[in-house]
Amino acid sequence: MKPTKHLLLVILSSCFLFLGCGSESNSPNESDSKKEVVLGKIALDNAWARPGSKKGKSAAYLRISNATASTDTLLSFNSKAAQSIELHESIENADGTTSMRPAEQQIIPAGEKLQLQPGGLHLMLINLKRDLAVGDSLQISLEFARVGTISTTAPVQIQN
Amino acid sequence: MSSTLRSLLISLLIIAGLTACGPEPIYDLSDDTYQLRDSDSTQVNFPKDFNGNISLVTFIYTNCPDVCPVITANMTNIQRELDDTSGVNFIEITFDPERDSPSVLKEYQDLYGLNEQFTMLTSHPNDSDALLDKLDIVAQKVTVDSLGYDSTNYAIRHSNTLYLMDKDGYIRAEYPAHRVKPEHVKDDINYLRSE
Repeated sequence: MKPTKHLLLVILSSCFLFLGCGSESNSPNESDSKKEVVLGKIALDNAWARPGSKKGKSAAYLRISNATASTDTLLSFNSKAAQSIELHESIENADGTTSMRPAEQQIIPAGEKLQLQPGGLHLMLINLKRDLAVGDSLQISLEFARVGTISTTAPVQIQN
Repeated sequence: MSSTLRSLLISLLIIAGLTACGPEPIYDLSDDTYQLRDSDSTQVNFPKDFNGNISLVTFIYTNCPDVCPVITANMTNIQRELDDTSGVNFIEITFDPERDSPSVLKEYQDLYGLNEQFTMLTSHPNDSDALLDKLDIVAQKVTVDSLGYDSTNYAIRHSNTLYLMDKDGYIRAEYPAHRVKPEHVKDDINYLRSE
């Protein structure tokens, strides 16, 4: 290849590259291009909920596995089956009694799991909008700071 | 017989005697009567109506969303662990007679598939404290602001205890109700059966 042709090819390639970059920055979805790319995913499994009566309360449990490369924070919870959902924890007090309190916001490091289980952290389903009977199921959505909202289905069952 | 040999024999007899006695009674309910109601609204004289059998006694309330179902699950696990459940009562008494009427307890019993060996008991709202006091059970109403609890919608900070009562109304052992190993309780039940 002659040096002149070679130079021409380099200039043309640079122009395409430049135009390519320009078109991305002028995209109507500019905000999307600024979204963080999260490698890996957060998985929810082993979800289940206790039975409950309409207007009453229930508790739900699941395991959250952060398989991304970054720490993430559990922000909020939602289900059409309950007016609201809060993260609570049952605690054993120094006098041997048991009580329950709202839990702190949970931060899940990369590669770590967070287990919501009976007698510990759990999702409190408050003011149920319908009866939850054994055999029913409900959809629960969890919002994370980095990966956004993830949903799972929790069957209603009795603990063995 | 030499004095040394006599001393040794006496020591052995004392050790054998202590082993045979097993756990001393922790609470004596043998002369007490607490009038409670079961899930069919039938009056029950506790513990006299259960005398003659070994009883596992624990306390729950049905509005307890997390820990009390664990206690109930552990009671059924203990029941399953026993090779022979004859002569054993499984008794759950509510901390919360205001809300846990006999019909509510019946729903709970059905929900958790508790069979006829289980007895769910409640009391008149003002009568329950005597039994709780006797057994050093703590049950305090608490509010969690975010839940909007009020005078009729509350949680209870409560003891978490399972009692093993012998056939004469003596409490012979107590355990953490939600996490005691079923095989541990089974061993103690078999011990009481062997007395």
